[in-house]
Amino acid sequence: MNTFIALSKKEMNQMTKEYKVVWLPIVYILLGLTQPIMMYFLPAILQSMGGIEGIIIDPTMAKPGGEEVLASTLNSQFDQLGIIILAIATMGIIQGEKANGMMAFILTRPVSITSYLNSKLLTHYILAVLCISLGYAMSLGYTSYLFTSVPIMRALIALAFYCIWLLFIITFVAMMSTFFNSTPFIALISIGVLFICRFCAGLHPFLDVINPASNSLYATTIIMTGDIEKWYSFNIIVTLLLVLFMMAIMHHFIAKKKF
Amino acid sequence: MSINVRLEINNITKKFKQKTAVSSFSMVIDSNECVGLIGPNGAGKSTLIQIIADILYADAGDIVLDGQKISKMKNHIGYLPQYPNFFSWMTASETLAFMGTLSGISKNQLQKDIPILLEKVGLGKEAYAHVGTFSGGMKQRLGIAQALLHRPAFIIMDEPVSALDPIGRREVLNLLKDIKKETTILLSTHILADAEEVCERFVVIKNGYKIEDATKLELLNRYQDSAIFLAVQKKDVKWLTTIEHLPYVKRIENCGEGFKVYVNHLEKDAHRLLQYGLDSNVLFTKFDLGLQESLEEIFLELVV
Repeated sequence: MNTFIALSKKEMNQMTKEYKVVWLPIVYILLGLTQPIMMYFLPAILQSMGGIEGIIIDPTMAKPGGEEVLASTLNSQFDQLGIIILAIATMGIIQGEKANGMMAFILTRPVSITSYLNSKLLTHYILAVLCISLGYAMSLGYTSYLFTSVPIMRALIALAFYCIWLLFIITFVAMMSTFFNSTPFIALISIGVLFICRFCAGLHPFLDVINPASNSLYATTIIMTGDIEKWYSFNIIVTLLLVLFMMAIMHHFIAKKKF
Repeated sequence: MSINVRLEINNITKKFKQKTAVSSFSMVIDSNECVGLIGPNGAGKSTLIQIIADILYADAGDIVLDGQKISKMKNHIGYLPQYPNFFSWMTASETLAFMGTLSGISKNQLQKDIPILLEKVGLGKEAYAHVGTFSGGMKQRLGIAQALLHRPAFIIMDEPVSALDPIGRREVLNLLKDIKKETTILLSTHILADAEEVCERFVVIKNGYKIEDATKLELLNRYQDSAIFLAVQKKDVKWLTTIEHLPYVKRIENCGEGFKVYVNHLEKDAHRLLQYGLDSNVLFTKFDLGLQESLEEIFLELVV
C-alpha cells in the first residue's frame, strides 16, 4: 500500500512537472466550449462564408435544444478529437519507463506489479476524469446560456456513464503501451481500435452489450431523453470485466518480463 | 543486516532467440565476499547480473539467497544498473526518498539517512540539484547511493566504474572499498585493474560459460612462470649465450630490457645460476625470481 501511494505521488509530480495537469484540462475546456459556440453561430458562419447561393437558410429553423448540444459535445468532440488527444497524452504511460529502464529498476525494489500498474492507471484516470468533467461543465454552462438548460441530474448521470467508457480508454491505451515500444504505433493502434468501438456502438443490440463504447452512446441517450434502461448496467459490468481482464494481461506481460 | 548472506547460483541458462547468453552457470558467494565478475564485452555478464537482480528470467536454473528465492528477497539486495537512469525532474534527495519509500523505509529514517548517504558518495552539495543536470559520474554515485540506502546485505553492481573518467573511477573504487567492509558485493567489469583493487575473488565468464573461479592469489600462483628475470651489463651479454647450454636452463627469451630464463626448479636453479654468474664475474643489474604475469595478462590468456 505504501509503495502504491509513493508511486501515485510520483506519477502526480511527474504530470505536474510535464505540465500535463495544465494543458490537458485546457484542451478539454476548449473542446467543451467548441460545440455550443459553434452550433450557436452556425447560421452566421454559413452566411458569412458565402457560396450559399441557391441555399436557403430557413430563418424559422428551430434552435437545437440544450440536450442536443450537450449530447453532441460528447459524441462529436470528446469521442473524436478527445480520444485522439487522450491517446496521445497517455501513450507513454508505461512505454516511457519501459524504454529507459525505470520500470525494471523500480521493480527491483519490493514493489508489486499490481501497485505499479494501479498507481499508473488510477492517476491517469483521475486526471482524465477531471479534464472531461471540466470540459463537460464548460459545455453545460454555455449550452444553458446560449440554448436551453439541461436537467443537472441527467447531465451528471450521463457523465458517470461516460467515465466508464473513459476507464476503458485509459486501460486500453495503457495495455498497448505495455505491449509495444513505439509511441506513434501505440497512439495509432489505440485510436484505431477505440474509433472502431465507437462507430460500432448502436449498430446491433448484441454488439452493444459487449462494446464498451456503448456507455458513451448511453450517455448521449440519457442526456436526450433521461431514460435509463435496465440493460445499461449489464454493459457496465461487461466493461468493468474487460478492464479487469486487460489489467490481468498487463500484469502477466510484465511478470513474464516480455518487455 | 542480520541475515547471513549466501548466494547460490545454480545452473543458470538464458537464451535470447538463437544466442545463448549464459550457459549453466553456477557459483556460490559467501557472506562478506567481494566477487568480481569479469569477461569481455558480450560475455553474458550483464545478463547474469540482471537475472540475479530479478530483472530477467532465467530459462533454467535458480538463484537462492539465504535459502529463499531471490524474488522474495528484494529488500536485502541493492542493485546498480549499468546505466543508472533516474527521473530527470527529481532532485538527488527526492530520488533517494522515492527509492527508499519503495523499499519500505520510514520517512523519519529517510530524513536522517539521505544527507549522510549523499555526503558519503560525494553528492552532499548536489542534494537539491535536479538529476537531469548530473554528469555520468554523478549519476553513477547516486546509483550507488540508492543501492546502499536500504542497507542491503548484498549488492550487485553492473559495471560500476566502466563509464567513468579516471577521477570518477578512483572515487567510486574508494567508495567500494569502504562499502565492502560491511556488505557482500558482486560486481561485473571488463577492466581487470578495477576489479583487482576491490575484489579478492574473480569469476571469469566467456561466451556464457564460467571458465575460471579463483582468488587473486590462486590465479597468480596458477599462472606463475618458473622463470628468472635478469638483466646484465652490456659487456656481459656474451655470457648469456653460455648459460643457454646449462642443463637446468630450458630456454632464454629476450624480454624488454632483460632476459627471461626458464628453469625447472625455480629456487634451486636460481641459486645455481646466480652462483654461476658470480663465478663468471658477471655483474647483474637485475635478478628477479618467479616472474608473475599481471592479472591483465592472465585475463587475456583466459578469454582470447
